[in-house]
Amino acid sequence: MKFKINRDHFANGLAQVLNVVGSKATMPILSNVLIEVGKDHITLTTTNLDLGIRVKIKADAKETGAVTLPVKRLATIVRELPNVDVTVDASANHQVKLASGGSTFRIMGIGKEEFPPLPDFGDDKVFTLEQAELITMLRSVDYAQSTDETRYILNGVYLSFRDNKLSLVATDGRRLALVSKELETPAASAGHIILPAKSVAELERMLGKGGKLKISFNDRRAAFQIATDKDTSGLIDHIYLYSKVVEGNYPNYQQVIPKETHQRLKLERELFLQCVHRAQLVCSEKANSVKIKLTTNLLEITAQSPDFGEAHESMAVAYSGTELQVAFNPAYLLDPLRALTKDEVFLELKDEVSPGVFKTLENFVCVIMPVRLS
Amino acid sequence: MAKVRILPDHVANQIAAGEVIERPAAVVKELVENALDAGATRVEVEFRHGGRSFIRVEDNGGGMARDDALLALERHATSKLAVAADLDRLHTFGFRGEALPSIASIARFTLQTRATGDEAGTEILVNGGKLVHVRECGRPVGTRIEVADLFNSVPARRKFLKTDATEAAHIVAGVRLHALACPRVAFTLIEDGRVVFRSPQCADLVGRVAEIFGRQLAAELVPVEATEAGQRLTGLIGRPGLGRATRHELVTFVNGRPVDSRTLSYAVIESYHESVPRGRYPMAFLFFECDPAAVDVNVHPAKREVRFRSEPAVRGFVIRSVLARLREIAECGRRSAELPATGGEQRPTSNNQHPTSGLPPLASAIPHSASHVPPAPASASPHSAIPHSAFHLPNSAAPAPPIENQESPIQNPSWRFLGVAHGDYALFETAAGLVLLDRRAAHERVWFERLREQFGSGTVPGQRLLLPQPLELDPVAAALLLERLKFINAHGFEVTEFGRNFFRIEAVPDWMEPGDAEPFVRDLLGALRDGRIQGGNLDAAREQFARLAAARAVRLSAAGGEEQMRALVTQLFATRVPLTSPAGRPTFIELNHGELARRFQR
Repeated sequence: MKFKINRDHFANGLAQVLNVVGSKATMPILSNVLIEVGKDHITLTTTNLDLGIRVKIKADAKETGAVTLPVKRLATIVRELPNVDVTVDASANHQVKLASGGSTFRIMGIGKEEFPPLPDFGDDKVFTLEQAELITMLRSVDYAQSTDETRYILNGVYLSFRDNKLSLVATDGRRLALVSKELETPAASAGHIILPAKSVAELERMLGKGGKLKISFNDRRAAFQIATDKDTSGLIDHIYLYSKVVEGNYPNYQQVIPKETHQRLKLERELFLQCVHRAQLVCSEKANSVKIKLTTNLLEITAQSPDFGEAHESMAVAYSGTELQVAFNPAYLLDPLRALTKDEVFLELKDEVSPGVFKTLENFVCVIMPVRLS
Repeated sequence: MAKVRILPDHVANQIAAGEVIERPAAVVKELVENALDAGATRVEVEFRHGGRSFIRVEDNGGGMARDDALLALERHATSKLAVAADLDRLHTFGFRGEALPSIASIARFTLQTRATGDEAGTEILVNGGKLVHVRECGRPVGTRIEVADLFNSVPARRKFLKTDATEAAHIVAGVRLHALACPRVAFTLIEDGRVVFRSPQCADLVGRVAEIFGRQLAAELVPVEATEAGQRLTGLIGRPGLGRATRHELVTFVNGRPVDSRTLSYAVIESYHESVPRGRYPMAFLFFECDPAAVDVNVHPAKREVRFRSEPAVRGFVIRSVLARLREIAECGRRSAELPATGGEQRPTSNNQHPTSGLPPLASAIPHSASHVPPAPASASPHSAIPHSAFHLPNSAAPAPPIENQESPIQNPSWRFLGVAHGDYALFETAAGLVLLDRRAAHERVWFERLREQFGSGTVPGQRLLLPQPLELDPVAAALLLERLKFINAHGFEVTEFGRNFFRIEAVPDWMEPGDAEPFVRDLLGALRDGRIQGGNLDAAREQFARLAAARAVRLSAAGGEEQMRALVTQLFATRVPLTSPAGRPTFIELNHGELARRFQR
């Protein structure tokens, strides 16, 4: 196996696959990257058995073959090589010689036979989406995923393809974010998956390098084939991301979304975000809530902590309903406000024990349960 | 012939012996107490074969004249008591006048004694209750008693003896207790020609504990002293967080007499309920003194038990005193952690600089100060002098830190963060050595106090849940929950009945993960069921509630960074009892320079 490659392309490719490798891999082979040399490219693959990533990079192949090398160390070395031209040469005993300008490295590898193969897909359900669209959708719900490991079902984003709609949902039991878009969903392809948090993060990182992406899934795995046609750093063809899905039943999110609207406010997102953010500055771990008070055409936000002090913010709104007060964890208000990009959001409130609901005109809903002060 | 007759003396003595002398250790106890009552400053105990073949107790006490010595072997002959009213004023160990005749009736008994001023000593030999001879002998002032062939006249009793090793252990334990009770008396204990322990006269109790139980244990103790309404409590108690599997190191003395007092030991255990882990026992060497009239020692033949006139008063006093001391220790720990790093070169040079050695200052300060402070003057009661030199330490041990560093104790704690081991233990370098902090225990303490404060303030925010957690219970638990629903809902929960034995958790305290709600409520019901949370006392119930909640609230992030760990230490030392978790486990342990040097054999 022998190839010549551009240092920056190589480094970029390694950076794409690096994150998957855990710090405490149970099998040594899982800390390695599989390098396969094709005709005019090399393929880099890493996996932690739950999540695998494969990228292809332009390279000048001299001799095809494959080897695996410790990816963290390799990435560091490649980044710091002195010359843009790098030649890589593997001998039969998996020893790899890396040369660039005046520096030469000899790195011990492991044979490709031990590398666990990425899963093959059979009769999966396949959809094609716009990358830009999916990334916006992911970002508008991902903050609501649960980090509580005991509720592993909620440690991910729920993707549902049915009723001619793609819906993304995330919840941690206290708030729920839902975004959907129209999508043709033939009955045969309809289905849903829970994509684990780590895969969501990697996917968000990969998206945006091209126009389309293809998602295929069954009830155990999901695969994303991400086009890289807009990339200029050496990636060619597609990035493949394979992920296990969280197995289990996602809670029935429909039932927690209030059906009726009681009081609806139109808010300037930035302004409201800043007010809540300022009020939150006085919150402490002991007193982590902000109170929203609505009176005619006035919205007041107050926060206080016994050992620090209090904050009071007011903003003019168009409101003519009854006076009401409700308290929330400020982080739960800030997260969706930050994730959204539109200038206007709608906030629906009812009373101090009923959820607050953010909505936008783009099929976005975020339900936030209030904090009750006894 | 009359059926009822008066028993001959030797039979009566044997019967009395049956009560008083149940095993060789009892002989040793009686004889040692006699020696101490005689004002000895040196007591030597020797025994062989677990005491069954030979026991010797020798002292340098007052001794007896020949007539007294002969009389002492009669039943109910004693120098310690004259009229019944004396029983209420007892300052001596013995008083019944039963021990000597009892022992003499069941063994080969040799008594040698010389009173101060007498020219010659007296030797009396009694075998199985029969006087063999009385003659003059030469010996220094004091008394020596040898008991050989114990139980030779009561074979039945001999059969009930345990192995030599067991009997020896009882003797050793008994002598240790007496040695503790009287640090100013030199003790030597010899078993089968081998010295078990030899303790010279000690200035204080710490020294004596170190001699007998080892220096390591002594270093883990701190002095306690309190006086209140004619009651006085002195002695040593274990540092919070250190527990023992058995109660063997929880030793109580009442007016200098080692006793098994349930009142005292339960009071101590109760005081420590937050300072040692559940199921472990605190260490304590406690001397309780009160008016002899307020305590009845005449309830147990071997005087192992006593009865207080007013048990609740004693109990309350002991709990108050020990708790106050434990809090003081916590206070000291807190202050010394805030001291700036001083480096190793600034060793204490005078008594008022103890705490430079960081946390916990007392262990190093006590032995150190003992060498500086002249022995306390002798006083009438041997115990009042106990760890006198150490008593003033708690106050002087933690003077305010130097002024130039006082402004920012938080940014400048003396603990230098080194790293986190296994995700669980944070390692710090301190002026005194190394500190290993148990992150979980520390977090639990911080949370516990935070929650308790929150409960006290009456506002407990509850985060309502999107998806209420179902909770199905058995009928007993359901009834219990219904009964306590108000209490639970006042503390951040919102639990509603949703059917027969079926509930929904609709809100949880804002710090709780929704997934933890159901197990927590079940834990809580468990605690209610087995009585750990009592209904009557709201504060106690809240405390227990907070304790359970703290264990749930703690979620350790994968790896704590330096900032986090420093913040944790700061928060920990802002709590009332930083040394232990709410469950009583230690929050940190310290390896001091000495310990490290010893391990590396430097």
